Amino acid sequence: MSVPQAAATRHQQKVDELCAASIRALSGDADLHFRGRRLFRGRRALALFAPHLHPSPQRDDFGSFRGAADGMALRLLLSDAELHRHLGPADPLARALFDMLEQFRVEALAPAGMPGMVHNLQHRHEQWSLAFHHSGVTETASGILLYTTAQICRARVTAQPVVEATDGVIEATRMALAPVLGHALAGLRRQRTDQAAYAQHALTIAHTVAGMIHAASETGDDQTDECGEDDDGRRFFSHWTDFEGNDDDHRVAAASIGDSRVLEEADDGYRVFTTAYDQEVRAATLVRSALLREYRERLDRRIAGQGVNIARLARELKAVLAVATRIDWDGAQEEGCIDGRMLAQLIASPTERRLFRIERQEPMADCVLSFLIDCSGSMKQHIESVAMLVDVFVRALEQAGVASEVLGFTTSAWNGGRALRDWQRTGRTEHPGRLNETCHMVFKDADTPWRRSRPDIAALLKSDLFREGIDGEAVDWACARLESRGEGRRLLVVLSDGSPMDSATHLANDAHYLDHHLREVVERREREGVVEIYGVGVGLDLSPYYRRSQTIDISGALGNEVFHEIVAMFARR
Amino acid sequence: MTELSTARPDRMISVREVFGIDTDLRVPAFSEGEDHVPEVDSAYRFNPDVTLALLAGFSRDRRVMVQGLHGTGKSTHIEQVAARLNWPCVRVNLDGHISRLDLVGKDAVVLRDGQQVTEFQEGIVPWALQRPVALIFDEYDAGRPDVMFVIQRILERDGKLTLMDQNRVISPHPCFRLFATANTVGLGNLSGLYHGAQRLNHAQIDRWNIVAALNYLPRNEEIAIVQARVPQFADAAGRALIDSMVAVAELTRKGFAAGDLSTLMSPRTVITWAENVEIFRDPALAFRLSFVNKCDEAERAIVAEYFQRCFDRELEESHQLATHQE
Repeated sequence: MSVPQAAATRHQQKVDELCAASIRALSGDADLHFRGRRLFRGRRALALFAPHLHPSPQRDDFGSFRGAADGMALRLLLSDAELHRHLGPADPLARALFDMLEQFRVEALAPAGMPGMVHNLQHRHEQWSLAFHHSGVTETASGILLYTTAQICRARVTAQPVVEATDGVIEATRMALAPVLGHALAGLRRQRTDQAAYAQHALTIAHTVAGMIHAASETGDDQTDECGEDDDGRRFFSHWTDFEGNDDDHRVAAASIGDSRVLEEADDGYRVFTTAYDQEVRAATLVRSALLREYRERLDRRIAGQGVNIARLARELKAVLAVATRIDWDGAQEEGCIDGRMLAQLIASPTERRLFRIERQEPMADCVLSFLIDCSGSMKQHIESVAMLVDVFVRALEQAGVASEVLGFTTSAWNGGRALRDWQRTGRTEHPGRLNETCHMVFKDADTPWRRSRPDIAALLKSDLFREGIDGEAVDWACARLESRGEGRRLLVVLSDGSPMDSATHLANDAHYLDHHLREVVERREREGVVEIYGVGVGLDLSPYYRRSQTIDISGALGNEVFHEIVAMFARR
Repeated sequence: MTELSTARPDRMISVREVFGIDTDLRVPAFSEGEDHVPEVDSAYRFNPDVTLALLAGFSRDRRVMVQGLHGTGKSTHIEQVAARLNWPCVRVNLDGHISRLDLVGKDAVVLRDGQQVTEFQEGIVPWALQRPVALIFDEYDAGRPDVMFVIQRILERDGKLTLMDQNRVISPHPCFRLFATANTVGLGNLSGLYHGAQRLNHAQIDRWNIVAALNYLPRNEEIAIVQARVPQFADAAGRALIDSMVAVAELTRKGFAAGDLSTLMSPRTVITWAENVEIFRDPALAFRLSFVNKCDEAERAIVAEYFQRCFDRELEESHQLATHQE
């Protein structure tokens, strides 16, 4: 991942955070957040509402994201989702239009005291309109029909002018539509405060326009042939909006996820073909001690060159992780609890009132934090920065009184190794489950102080240990380690730059077997609530997997900023 | 003071006329004011529910606690009701340093005819108890447990106060009234906003006859209050400005509830902001000086988003500007 791209990902995450915070404040619903660019309430993804609410990080500016966020907030606040679903038409295309019209209705109701919100919504509408227009879709018959409908309906409901740049383009279609939709259009603005009454007019429009488009595609004077057979109107719509096509996938740096049919249909859930070759090792035993010393020196030089303020980091960590604990008493006070030792003094000098003592409280961290590092092949390029980050954190955590672990996971072989051979020998049973030798490495355990585990941490730099990554089992393993600890608060930080990857497992099962399992594990562990799990994405948005996640950019020099971002993530809980 | 201790409410006033609440209720009041009666603030706006609760406290001798977030005007509300009834009123702030002896009284060394003698000096509670005074305990939930047990006794309506070391029993004056204000309902510092708030003994809470909640006012009321406080914005243009300001304040309150912010804007902050707008002639600058700088640095970008929504302007802390400068 290149430097500007990582910075862009970081910027995009910040934008998402700010937009999510705005949506929460505007709608008054604390449980909303973005996961993988999709709005969630708690664990449930919300409906997509309307096509213009999904700006693209490549094309659209911050203002567009603000407008989309405001639109979503208004939709949540002012529209009854149940009623909307109940009234919605069955035809997918008509439903998509109906969704869009409902969105226009709530946007027209933006409060007068918020001119910025009105501006954002208008800005977003213009950006979407222009993008739609410039994509060339408006040159098709159904495209111009959709576009014109969107323009005139929004203009009517919100009493704002249509987008000026395309005024001429829609003129002819508008004249044709006006007599057909006239009555319904007039009703839109009048009934905009009454969802049910408005819906009647919106339905008329949606049915009429959808009917016209279906007719156009049947007679064949339309260039697009998909709309007839496309079973989901929303996909039809997004097809029109997301015209830049599929190359988006490798430019948007969010972990790609999918559901695994094999895992869903398996009765016994996630399967492991064999655990015979799995191992858990102290990482330092895999590296020659002379080499380890050399690695450590390299790491120390790099850390010295970074200028990280460890004392400050320790203070920040303490502020976030520590809770007030009674540690001692302050004696000779004028009030508080009676201090028995002072009673003799009271008899000796009755005027003496300083007989009391009060509790002294100080912040203490009753906490253990575990770093779980993805040691898959793609992490090799980042590992020096990651090792440094972890080393500095471990030192700061120790100063803050927090125990810490450094763990890693990889496989002992490429492409399945002995597990795969066993499977082939036993006749290639259907869906064998995980098919590789996992290797869980301990770089530092919670009871060893940093000073003694210095060489062990340096073993991270041994890049030929890095093979494939089976994240789900590793998260489970790290959580189990944390659960056996006595501390009150347990945190697991997973550092990764990608989705779980093991080619043998993928081939023998299906493409999303491992990442589906990872999501299952994280969800289950979060539900149990014993361990707080945080995902730290190295130049990648891990929010599809982890509810609490942070993207960091470590391609350049590590400033104090990266550390601060991770600490801030703990503070958000 | 003898005059005060014999005074009684001598007339009935109509709640509809004085407080503008649509009810036929009439409440007793004093016709003559006295030093302890608070000043009437004619711009003050009463919350109908809380006003009725407080009037029940004054007329029917109920113990009323007013609970709500900071800056909602809890103590002022009680004072303003008292001011309109000409009822003498004393406020005691129950911060963590008020001790039992401060409230009840203690032996002190005084000079009498050149001789040092110890003499009992009455605390505020026995003093108020013997007079037709409304005693308000502010920050009731910050009081220390040992102090609270002194109050517990007088919370009962005819609760007599025994001064142990004096061998005296004090009966309350028939027109003595007791009120309290608190940020929490005795559950302690759950939100992290009120450090020093204690969990209250349930027996304590149980003795309060009425608990009225004074939360943030409806938008229009809050706008009206700010306009009343800062008369420069009393016109239509001013109203639009204050509308946006109150909208920002509401967003910070919801943001606080959602856990995005660790500070929120009270009505008091909005008034301060409005006053600062008068000084600096720029809502954005005044906003930064009166609220943004109180926020955690990490949260300022969020506050800037709220501001953008309500004013259609960027604050210097905005992420938008930060990325432009890079």
